[in-house]
Amino acid sequence: MTKEFGVPPVVFPSGGNPTVAAGGNTQQRRVPTAPFQPPRPSNSGIPFMSFEVGSAAATTSGPIGGGTGPIGGVANFDDEEPLLDELGIHPDQIWKKTKSILNPFRANPTFHKDSDLSGPIFLYLSFCLFQLLAGKIQFGVILGWIVVSSIFLYVVFNMLAGRHGNLDLHTCTSVVGYCLLPVVILSAISLFVPQNGALRSGIAGVFVIWATRACTNLMVAVADGGEEHRGLIAYACFLIYTLFSLLVVF
Amino acid sequence: MNPKSNPFSSAGSGLIRGGLSAYGEKIFGSGSEYVQSNISKCFSDPQYYFQVNDHYVRNKLKIVLLPFLNRGHWTRITEPVGGRLSYEPPINDINAPDLYIPCMSFATYLVLAGISLGLSGKFTPEALNWKFVTGMMGWFSEVMLLKVSILSLGGGEAPLLDMVAYAGYTFTGMCVAVLGKITLGYTYYLIILWTCLCMGIFFIKTMNRTLLSEVRSYDSSKHHYLLLCTALTQFPLMFCLSNISGT
Repeated sequence: MTKEFGVPPVVFPSGGNPTVAAGGNTQQRRVPTAPFQPPRPSNSGIPFMSFEVGSAAATTSGPIGGGTGPIGGVANFDDEEPLLDELGIHPDQIWKKTKSILNPFRANPTFHKDSDLSGPIFLYLSFCLFQLLAGKIQFGVILGWIVVSSIFLYVVFNMLAGRHGNLDLHTCTSVVGYCLLPVVILSAISLFVPQNGALRSGIAGVFVIWATRACTNLMVAVADGGEEHRGLIAYACFLIYTLFSLLVVF
Repeated sequence: MNPKSNPFSSAGSGLIRGGLSAYGEKIFGSGSEYVQSNISKCFSDPQYYFQVNDHYVRNKLKIVLLPFLNRGHWTRITEPVGGRLSYEPPINDINAPDLYIPCMSFATYLVLAGISLGLSGKFTPEALNWKFVTGMMGWFSEVMLLKVSILSLGGGEAPLLDMVAYAGYTFTGMCVAVLGKITLGYTYYLIILWTCLCMGIFFIKTMNRTLLSEVRSYDSSKHHYLLLCTALTQFPLMFCLSNISGT
């Protein structure tokens, strides 16, 4: 008898009907799968949580002998994407973008067209680390200031650019975050510079101008409509990075 | 990620409409039309106030800080658009208010306040956040004062953002005052008196024009008292906000 348990025949889309395929041999019935299998390619990014034991590639090889397929979730591991790719963190891209900020005289906007937030998060954490080494616990303050200043720059840029403005908040935060690199370097250097003195403010000024230059060039290159308002946008960026340098200097 | 491609951003201009059309749809659902129509009732097209360029900013700063040097007229240029008179954007008219200078001078005031706090050894991020809050409260109270005084004279059509812009120009004077405090020490008091005077003159001249254009019945004496009051309120406001080392 095929219907041992009184269960109506279920058609499995990937493996076919076991009552038909297994020739009525229900002892070798494979472990029950969810009746609805959403279609997924064989190398999808996120392994779908299913009760199916065999991988998708194994099941497409044939509906026969379901229970004798590869046992355990170990077979899925080779088909999974690397963790960083799944999370969307591309270290080589982050490194290239960070290196492009290092040149204060010319901005290279090609890498910054596709924005990501993992580089800014890394820079934020290193900034907080250097501040921590200086004895200032300012994790929340810096995060809040980054958020507020990127919203500020986003509003100002889009208002100035008018109808042509197409900067979006993700790109804006990405650019502001990457251009924090000079401020991070400033906070590292100021660990070794004496506390009260014009030298501290002078070095801070140099780094702030570097950050402003980089940010303005990138903003104008990455989004439309900013060309004729370069000076006005530069002043806004200057204010933002001066605020961050205040955290370092004082 | 251009938010202009959905039916709620038909006007197509300005960030607020674009942003609201994108997020209003998601958050408010059917209420987004309600939000949009109310926003455009309260704020008259903020895009207008940001049509500035370098030349305008430089000259406007000169007018705001040294108003007595302006030999020209103070009226805003109007042009007939679709049957109604509308004002020229700031890029064409030096007397038009804008929102770029007030926002930037507010941010500059915060930065200078931070520097001044740091030089006197009292810098903490919380103190700077508190300065931000007090500055916003001062700006808001000045806007309310202006709006109430215009309303009490009967001219209710003055757009709210105009008042916000005029109130924000005082931050320019305050930046000069705080800069004076940082660099010159005790002459700071003279500088503050000077900037208060200048801002007062600027206010009187601008509000004169605004009142003339908005108010129906020209009641001379009430007019003048009101102008004098608005000018005099500059003094305590600036003293309060630039008293950095105070509480």
